[in-house]
Amino acid sequence: MELVSLFIGLTFVNNVVLSKFYAVCPLLGVSKKPKNALNMGYAVTFVIFVASIVTWLLYNYVLVKLEITYLDLITFILVIASLVQFVEMFLKKTSPDIYKAMGVYLPLITTNCAVLGVALDNISAGYNLIEAAVAGLAVPIGFTIVIYVFATIRERLDIANVPESFKGTPIALITAGIMACAIAGIAGLV
Amino acid sequence: MNISAVLALVAIGAVLGCVLGIANKYLVVEEDNRVTEVIEMLPGANCGGCGYPGCSGFANALVEGETTKVSGCVVSNQETREKIVSYLNETPGPDGTTVKVTV
Repeated sequence: MELVSLFIGLTFVNNVVLSKFYAVCPLLGVSKKPKNALNMGYAVTFVIFVASIVTWLLYNYVLVKLEITYLDLITFILVIASLVQFVEMFLKKTSPDIYKAMGVYLPLITTNCAVLGVALDNISAGYNLIEAAVAGLAVPIGFTIVIYVFATIRERLDIANVPESFKGTPIALITAGIMACAIAGIAGLV
Repeated sequence: MNISAVLALVAIGAVLGCVLGIANKYLVVEEDNRVTEVIEMLPGANCGGCGYPGCSGFANALVEGETTKVSGCVVSNQETREKIVSYLNETPGPDGTTVKVTV
């Protein structure tokens, strides 16, 4: 039961994009087409899920044992960068179209703050391995939902009659702000 | 100095490197090596003057047959263009066909 509320809490209430404002770069960059947004979501989900488990194990069984926890940032980034490299190779091999469509935003998952954010939050919140794995699944699912919804809204914004000076990114940022207001409405649910 | 910190980082880096190395063996993509050759021959200014994103984009377009004019690269000189033309007209790709390009 506690895991369920942790999951709901991290997916919707404390949504990674709309209440913590991590990962705004891919939110704006890869949300022009809903299909690309979903693919980005899948890639981020894989990276965050594996990264949160691996970093948790590394932190608790290597860094804590050797009393070098101050190296957490650099080891986490090492793990995340390797994972992203792996995803990149995998996509290049299996679906070059997705690889092309995601372009520079695929290697940029490395610097996606959501990935490092989850890894560090898992440690500072004192989660155990199961909780860390649930968090590593809940956060990117929340991210995927938001980026997909945002992409569908942007698709409609393209044909909407937007004032000249608000066209493109400005109206997208305002939309993201309104979505954050909507998420703020369910704050305190969990 | 804390030697265990250094050793731990080296070990973690080595393990991750090995995993990536093994993954690279299985996930390697056969790339048309004409593209890399043409990139080598282009001036490498990455100016975008050809209308493609960088020299690699232009080299790709030449090999894929999207464009047939090497002079699309505005910063290349006559000698470079002729070199690329003769290379592409004479070197067959993985499927055994050559692309026809002109200066």
